[in-house]
Amino acid sequence: MLRTQLTSTRAVARRLYSSRATQSLFVCARTAARSPAYPTHSSLFQKHGVNLVVRRGYADGPNKFDRSKPFMNIGTIGHVDHGKTTLTAAITKVLAEQGGAKFTDYAEIDKAPEEKARGITINSAHVEYESANRHYGHIDCPGHADYIKNMITGAASMDGAIIVVSATDGQMPQTREHLLLARQVGIKKLVVFINKVDMISDNEILDLVDMEIRDLLTTYNFDGENTPIIMGSALAALDGKNDDIGKTKILELIEACDQWLEVPPRDLDKPYLMPIEETYSISGRGTVACGRAERGTINKGDEVEIIGHGQRIKTTVTGIEMFRKELDRGEAGDNMGVLLRGIKRELIARGQVIAAPGTMKSAKKFLAQIYVLTKDEGGRYTPFTINYKPQLFMRTADTTVGLDWPEGTTDVESKMVMPGDNIEVVCELHNDLAADVGTRFTLREGGKTVGTGIVTKVLEYVQV
Amino acid sequence: MLHLCLRQKGALRSSTLRTYSTKPAGNVPIKLVAELRKLTEVSLSKAREALSASNNDVQAALEWLEKDASVSGAKKAAKLQGRDAKEGLIGTSVLSRGTGAGEGPVRGGVRGAMVELNCETDFVARNELFGKLLADISHTAAFISEHTSTSGDLSDVFQPLPIEVLQDAPLLSHTSTDSLRPAKQTISEAIQELVGKVGEKISLRRALTAVIPSERILAGSAYHLTSYAHGSIRIPGQGRISALLLSNLTGSHDKLNQLFSSQDTSKELFSIQHALARQAVGFPTLTIKPPSWNASEDELASALLAQQFMMYAPSNGANVAEFLQQWSKKHELVSEDMPLPLVPTALAKWTVGESDSAAVLSVLSKEAGAELLPSSTT
Repeated sequence: MLRTQLTSTRAVARRLYSSRATQSLFVCARTAARSPAYPTHSSLFQKHGVNLVVRRGYADGPNKFDRSKPFMNIGTIGHVDHGKTTLTAAITKVLAEQGGAKFTDYAEIDKAPEEKARGITINSAHVEYESANRHYGHIDCPGHADYIKNMITGAASMDGAIIVVSATDGQMPQTREHLLLARQVGIKKLVVFINKVDMISDNEILDLVDMEIRDLLTTYNFDGENTPIIMGSALAALDGKNDDIGKTKILELIEACDQWLEVPPRDLDKPYLMPIEETYSISGRGTVACGRAERGTINKGDEVEIIGHGQRIKTTVTGIEMFRKELDRGEAGDNMGVLLRGIKRELIARGQVIAAPGTMKSAKKFLAQIYVLTKDEGGRYTPFTINYKPQLFMRTADTTVGLDWPEGTTDVESKMVMPGDNIEVVCELHNDLAADVGTRFTLREGGKTVGTGIVTKVLEYVQV
Repeated sequence: MLHLCLRQKGALRSSTLRTYSTKPAGNVPIKLVAELRKLTEVSLSKAREALSASNNDVQAALEWLEKDASVSGAKKAAKLQGRDAKEGLIGTSVLSRGTGAGEGPVRGGVRGAMVELNCETDFVARNELFGKLLADISHTAAFISEHTSTSGDLSDVFQPLPIEVLQDAPLLSHTSTDSLRPAKQTISEAIQELVGKVGEKISLRRALTAVIPSERILAGSAYHLTSYAHGSIRIPGQGRISALLLSNLTGSHDKLNQLFSSQDTSKELFSIQHALARQAVGFPTLTIKPPSWNASEDELASALLAQQFMMYAPSNGANVAEFLQQWSKKHELVSEDMPLPLVPTALAKWTVGESDSAAVLSVLSKEAGAELLPSSTT
């Protein structure tokens, strides 16, 4: 009866497209982890290494995704010679013995292949592994710019990180840059791995490394006092020698990640939000808004708010439909139509969102981190300056946006933005839109995607 | 090759182990190590070595480190020799902008340089120590260079500065007011010291200088050197894409005197020239002048004079050549044999990590004359 079928095919097509564009197992995996959980069958085979044999015959080992465990992305950040790659290889080796990973050796990880996410080229290496109670996607990028692109595109944004520091060198001048990066990509908690302890015979030196890194963490607003610092040797773990500084420490590190790093809430557990794709008027029943629920769940009879375009309208959901069938409950990932009580169709439009009351506000101005696509990625080939006004697409909405430099930027007149740049900008929307920290958007101009970005701070909400 | 790397790492490890075992552990107070680290940012093992070599005297250890820096840095650098260093920054330094820069006479010399310093990751390129070293090197390059141009029309002002020459030069501080103070170390020593601190391969890739002494500048001609660096992180004048641009203004001696005595015109000229450098960096510029004004769209798009002057708002959509002519006409400088009195004459543009063939160096010879403008405007 409702024309949700149409939207659903469209959404399926869109999903197909996006999975093809990202080409990353982890992106899909991540989305899946936060979407409805299906009954799992592989957890049975999960517990001990012995079962590896069974698993091998059953499916291709740990590649099978287990939804029973919460998923999070972590990354390794550190100096090139401090053993990031060795540590990653060691983690997969140690966990493979327990059936939680597929051993990925040094050479395989070190390649950091170029990949495309949302049409943007990023260099990063991925592996995955499971601890007793979590599933980790592990990212390793060669440079600052790659981590930032990862964050902006959401290809595999990091929810936590392991900072790797060698005990022989201690922290280095660029360790500051590593911590700044972690801050910039929104990581709140870190775990530190002090590597190569077998080369240091003096415990006092290790104490000093520990003390210095805690100081530095505090300087950059991390919890220096409580951050777990594990001291070990990734190489020993990889070679299977000296278990007390090798394997044991790797397991300790993983446990520290499990304990200290926080899993981001699943989409399903967040408050309900559905961007409106289309609206219909059904005689005798009222107005129906269709779209794909982005997060949360909704029940028949729930109160909701319609937000955006200068409006905040309170109403009640009197019916939910999916595939022409009535439902009592809909959840994140569903393409649904919701029947809204007492709302005239003219009152609402595509681009607004339907959200649980009090959970979403409409933003007029926000701070964002954007990446400007290069010509090869389909973007502009010329730079732009202040007063550039492209079209901003966020969820189902689009509006003109004015880009400006953040307050305090010097020499604004002579600054320009070139394709390939990562920058922080102030976005002032022509029409206000429901936006939050972490909401992603794209910038388009004349049929071309010129940039993609993520909201980092809302500066001005619309009061309604 | 990767296996080889691993093996090398293994070898390195055992040799380090050996050095450690020969040293009696624990005779160096950890507090002093911490103190020394705060002062110098050297690695832990180095700090300890310095202290044990100088009887736990911090001052003596500092001196020891200073002496040792280039030796151990060189050792480290030799170890890292085979690695790729494709990140980094390009620094520019303009010590003397040329005419109109000061209150003085119309004639003013030009002195500037552009240097590329490479490292392995952009983390290091973003670090303060790296930026400061590059600023000092660019400053030094501009400071020590001599005028070597032999051509009468100054068309070869942009000269490459051999890396070997630059490396052996004493490093001058870009912030120090007293540049005559004897320098503490050469540039290559300073680079090795930084290698010792950040543990990455750091290499000086290329350097270019532009020097015109004021006596070479003929009456009725004014030169202006400007730089633009895109993507600067800490220090303006350093970026991932940088350019040096020399422009020339021709007119009678009196006319130029009159122009430069007006502060507004001076300022305007400065901002036009700065915008030209920005335009050259921002757009995919390869040459100053198109091969011909009937050239293909791509060739026109890569020629500075033929590009729409988007980096200078008052140009109102005119292309660079047209705008420069309009400006010259407004100031009554245009004559029959001088259709474009204000013109960029030399451009050098580099991008970090690019191949040698991708570097842009374009020079306008005096004969270019009428070809500088599209036929409709001449």
